[in-house]
Amino acid sequence: MPSKAGRLRNALIIAWTLSVLVFIYLPILCITLASLTASRYFQFPITKFGLDWWRKTLGSIEISQLLSTSITIALCVTVVAVVIAFFGALAFARYDWQGRSIYQKLILLPIFFPQSVLGLALLLWFNALGLQMSWQTAVFAHLVWVVPVVTLVISIQVYSFDPALEEAAYDLGASRWQVLREVTLPVLFPGLFSGALFAFLLSWGNFPLSLYTTGADTTVPEYMYAKMVAGYTPGVPVLGTVSTIGAAILLVGGYTLILAMRRTRQTVLE
Amino acid sequence: MAAPAPILSLKAVAKSFGTFKAVDDINLDIAEGEFFTIVGPSGSGKTTLLRMIAGMEQPSGGDILLRGERINDVPANKRPTCMVFQSLALFPHRTVGENIEFSLKIKGISKEARKVRALELMDLLRLPQSCYAKSVMKCSGGERQRVALARALAYDLQILFIDEPLSAIDSKLRKTLEKELKDIHRETKKTFVYITHSLEEAMVMSDRIGVMQAGKLVQVGTPEVIYSAPNNRFVSEFIGDVNVIGVDVAAGGLLHATSLDTSLKPPAVPQGFSSGHLVIRPEFLRFVTEPSEVDNAVTGRLYNEYALGSRIQYQVRVGEAVFVVEKLRQQAFNGVRGDKVTIGWDAADSILVTD
Amino acid sequence: MRRPAFLSQGSRAALPITLFLLAGFVAPLIAVIWFSFMPPRTFSLAAAPSLENYATIFDSTSYISFLWSLALAAATVVLLVLVCYPVAYGLVRKFGKWAMLLTLLFTIPLFVSENIRLYGWVLFLIKNGVLLGSLKTYFGLELESILFTRTAILLGMVYVYLPFMLFPLTLGISMVPNETRDAAFDLGASRWQVFREVELPLSMPGIVIGFLLTFVLAVGAITEAKVLGGQRIIPVAHDIEIAFTYAQNWPLGAALSVLLMLVVGALVLAALWRFDLDRFLGRK
Repeated sequence: MPSKAGRLRNALIIAWTLSVLVFIYLPILCITLASLTASRYFQFPITKFGLDWWRKTLGSIEISQLLSTSITIALCVTVVAVVIAFFGALAFARYDWQGRSIYQKLILLPIFFPQSVLGLALLLWFNALGLQMSWQTAVFAHLVWVVPVVTLVISIQVYSFDPALEEAAYDLGASRWQVLREVTLPVLFPGLFSGALFAFLLSWGNFPLSLYTTGADTTVPEYMYAKMVAGYTPGVPVLGTVSTIGAAILLVGGYTLILAMRRTRQTVLE
Repeated sequence: MAAPAPILSLKAVAKSFGTFKAVDDINLDIAEGEFFTIVGPSGSGKTTLLRMIAGMEQPSGGDILLRGERINDVPANKRPTCMVFQSLALFPHRTVGENIEFSLKIKGISKEARKVRALELMDLLRLPQSCYAKSVMKCSGGERQRVALARALAYDLQILFIDEPLSAIDSKLRKTLEKELKDIHRETKKTFVYITHSLEEAMVMSDRIGVMQAGKLVQVGTPEVIYSAPNNRFVSEFIGDVNVIGVDVAAGGLLHATSLDTSLKPPAVPQGFSSGHLVIRPEFLRFVTEPSEVDNAVTGRLYNEYALGSRIQYQVRVGEAVFVVEKLRQQAFNGVRGDKVTIGWDAADSILVTD
Repeated sequence: MRRPAFLSQGSRAALPITLFLLAGFVAPLIAVIWFSFMPPRTFSLAAAPSLENYATIFDSTSYISFLWSLALAAATVVLLVLVCYPVAYGLVRKFGKWAMLLTLLFTIPLFVSENIRLYGWVLFLIKNGVLLGSLKTYFGLELESILFTRTAILLGMVYVYLPFMLFPLTLGISMVPNETRDAAFDLGASRWQVFREVELPLSMPGIVIGFLLTFVLAVGAITEAKVLGGQRIIPVAHDIEIAFTYAQNWPLGAALSVLLMLVVGALVLAALWRFDLDRFLGRK
């Protein structure tokens, strides 16, 4: 019903959405701009453009140490999270069991919880247990938040999983393990892949939990925060831009892969 | 005496989505108080047409006239028409009573008056009064149909549109609801425009039927006309199994059956006819012992037999073609698979279509 | 199908995550609760319980930071609903094939850590930064920076928590079937009436989740105040951090955390108690 009022409404919605999108990307744009200055301090408009800081940052040993710490934590988190969340998602969306509805709500609680307070609580807990803070405790801390999120992501895929597929496999003589390997895992793979992607990115970019639980080790966000507060160098926006571009590539690439996977699965299952 | 003016007039109504013509040049008049059914296969454009008349879609071309006035630009909420959607579109967060009273509440009618009207309609639709406060999510499929109808009838409408409501219902309930719809039509005296893909259903309920194919109206007429005098092959094949023979014109007012290579006596050959199809409904074919008993006869072998409740369907292989014969159970044919049989029909029982 | 070994299939699948969260979520929170009843400035869990910490909170100015956090979170939620609803509406109903691309674009910043993105705002708003620097150079305007004000903190919070309101709203609006809206319109309702009678009630689950998630996360916000606010406001999370680190007063920090948890817990319980997660998340 595209009446005149309707058309105006549509135009307003489009304009508003684009404004919000610009609002979202504005700071990221500023960071990218700040990384392109050749001078030590940030002044806009930029008088001297240069890629010197890019060269310096990406070549620095300190930075590569940070990157490796962040990546290691993220990888560990991804692997553990996907395994635990896979079973958690099956319990969430596939099997009917007593206590399922309470389980569903309790599992999501760590998401509905202020992260900084969670980080501090974990700090307290680790100290009470007499544990030394390091990147391993950070992995654990990240997992507390990431596992429920990944469970949710995988559950959404599990909701559209047809249990008849597994039953058919049993009927054809497969053992429980074979059904898991030949039917359940392949069909759910796009969901698992999305979950893994989320786990990696959420851990990579996490600041509040890392801040309190990494101890002597430092992740990229922590380093950047420290430099923001004292000792600013344009190396910070360089890292920021790298982070953003990396996340964008992973997301877009991952998403395209998932779409492709879904499409082949659709044709096979039809 | 001139015929009364139609309540709804469609003049060259069309709708295109990009280059795809969903509805193509529809011209139709619907009389007041009529039960008119639009029949067609999926994708023939019937729902799109209905949505245009109801106001949910804008036509790409043509005019829609209600009692002679053009209503193309009147928005759906101002048109005196109401639609029962295929999914029923009941408000899940409301009770039966609240659903039915919706249009009355919008108008600002008082709570008591609304309830009176809702209960009236529930009576008409054979919904027990106890359902009034029931949540629609807890209602059965049949109950929901009735609630959807009652809700639409509560609106001060002149035309009621019903979009394929019975396709997801089991056949026994469907037959009951078909008859009830017809009763409601008679009692309310409103104009009903109904959509279905089943010609059988249309024949039961309609005063007139319009057959749609690929966006066009290929034939409009009473159920008898549609059944016994279809315009073309598509319409004739729309109901049940029919026997269709490709024919050319031959000398002496006869037809030449192309695949059977024999002459056939037609009912009547129109001027300028050169080729087309001869259509014979299965109930008009008979098993004969002498070819002279009928106008047209062919010989073949009994191929299959199917029991269809009160009728039995026989398939007879004649050369490459398969003929379908239907007989009532009491008049079953005694034959064994593989038997040589002769079947025939009278010319008056066949229909000639040009395609 | 088969008789399960000792637990049903579902509860066995739930075991790993349940045990993990017991050790990683429930246990720390219990530790925090326990600590809050310990005498101030102690580090052991074995001392005699006392309510001193709670008294301290209400006597000192700590409860002010609490109220500020609540107020800021409430303001953030209200602003975000107004900002995000049109976008969510567009994503579900208007943008068609662009919706997926737009959703992806809105998702990407979520994975860039918040302190980086907030720092971008610093670069934008600071004196001689992107905004003020351009205004000075190109228009000759010399304006005061809004950085290190309360407005800046609110801006930062609206910015960071936007996706957490947007996605639940989108999910909620997509739960309203098109034909049900059409039906209301067909029955004579005006656009506003269709919104009030059909769209709003049926998208309520999404609105509730968006409100809840955003509020709960915002009430524990800390980085926005630190980076953009310059200590103008000390939100309760910052107070907690100070207690745990500089002040070396774990019991006090724990007590503040417990109060925060009570607020969060009460809200979550109230909203999710009868919530049908299956329907919301798309069970067929």
